[in-house]
Amino acid sequence: MTSEAGDAMTLPAAAKDFETDFWKDANLRKIWDEIVPGEPRKTLPYTLTQEAIALYCRAVGETNPLYLDEAAAKAGPFGGLIAPPSIHILLMFACTPADDWMRSPGTVNAGQSWTYNIPARPGDTITLTARALDKFIKRERLFVVHDNVFFNQHGEVICSGRGQTIRPM
Amino acid sequence: MPITFDTLSIGDAIDGPRFAVSRESIRLFCDASLDYNPLHLDDAYMKGDFGKTNFGGVIMHGMNNFGLISRMLTDWAYPAGAIHRRLETRWLKPVRPGETIRPTGIVKSKQTTAKSRWVLIDVTVQNQDDEKVAIGEAMVEFPLAAKAG
Repeated sequence: MTSEAGDAMTLPAAAKDFETDFWKDANLRKIWDEIVPGEPRKTLPYTLTQEAIALYCRAVGETNPLYLDEAAAKAGPFGGLIAPPSIHILLMFACTPADDWMRSPGTVNAGQSWTYNIPARPGDTITLTARALDKFIKRERLFVVHDNVFFNQHGEVICSGRGQTIRPM
Repeated sequence: MPITFDTLSIGDAIDGPRFAVSRESIRLFCDASLDYNPLHLDDAYMKGDFGKTNFGGVIMHGMNNFGLISRMLTDWAYPAGAIHRRLETRWLKPVRPGETIRPTGIVKSKQTTAKSRWVLIDVTVQNQDDEKVAIGEAMVEFPLAAKAG
C-alpha cells in the first residue's frame, strides 16, 4: 500500500498499517440514522507492544516505572511490565477497522466511564466486544451511547467502559 | 507518610500534574491514541460549525484529560498498594493549544464492602484561568490484603 507523501516517515510504531486520514472511507461509515443499538461492531484483535505503551506514556507524561522499566516492574506488585489503565484510549482505535463510525470526522466525545479489572501487558493480544447501546437526541444534538469490553488472550476482562459521543450532522 | 485507607479523611486533596497543551502535544496524542479525528489536526475544518457548536480551531482530545486524571490516580494509588478501579468523566470546555491544564482530586467518601475497601474521589481538570474543563468521579480500591493485582 502507498501512503500519502510524508506520512510514512512520521508514522509511529502503533500506527503501522493504520489509516491516519479519517476522511478516507468516511462515506463507508454509519451515520447516526444507520447505527443500530445492540448490534455488535466489527472489531480486530490487536497485539499491544511495549513501544506503543511507551509512546502513549510519553503523550500523557506517564513516568511510572511499572510501565517503562522492565527490571523495576518485575520486582513490583504485577511481576512485570503493565500498561497504564487508560491504555484503552489507544485500544479503542487499534481494535476497530477503518470503516468504524468512531472514526467519523467530527465525532465529539461527550464523556466516558471505565472500570478496570486487570492490567493489559505488553505482548497481550487484545480483543474488543463493542456495540452502540443506545441513541438519542438532546438539544438538537445526535448522541450515541457505546459499550465496550476489552479482553486479553486468556479471555480475562481487562476493562469495560461506556462512552457517549455526539455524532456529526 | 504513605497513604492508608484508615488515615484518609474526607476532603483530603490529591494533586495532579500540570500539562502544557500545544499543537505538538495534541499531535503526539494522535499518534499515541491513533485518534486522528480532524478536530485535533485540521484548522480549516475547525473553522466550520458543528451543529450548534463552533470551536474556532483545533482542540485537544477530551481523552487527554482522561489520561491525565488516570495518571494522577495511579501515581497516588500504587505507592499505597491501592488500585485505580474506575473513572467517569465529563468534558465541560474544549481545551486549545497554549492552555495549561491540571487535574486535582478530593476524597469524597470511603466505603467498606464485603470483601474490600473503596475510596470515592471527585476529580476536576482546570485550565490556567482556573476554569473547569472536565469533571468526574473515581474509585480507588484499597484491598484488605496489602497486595495489588
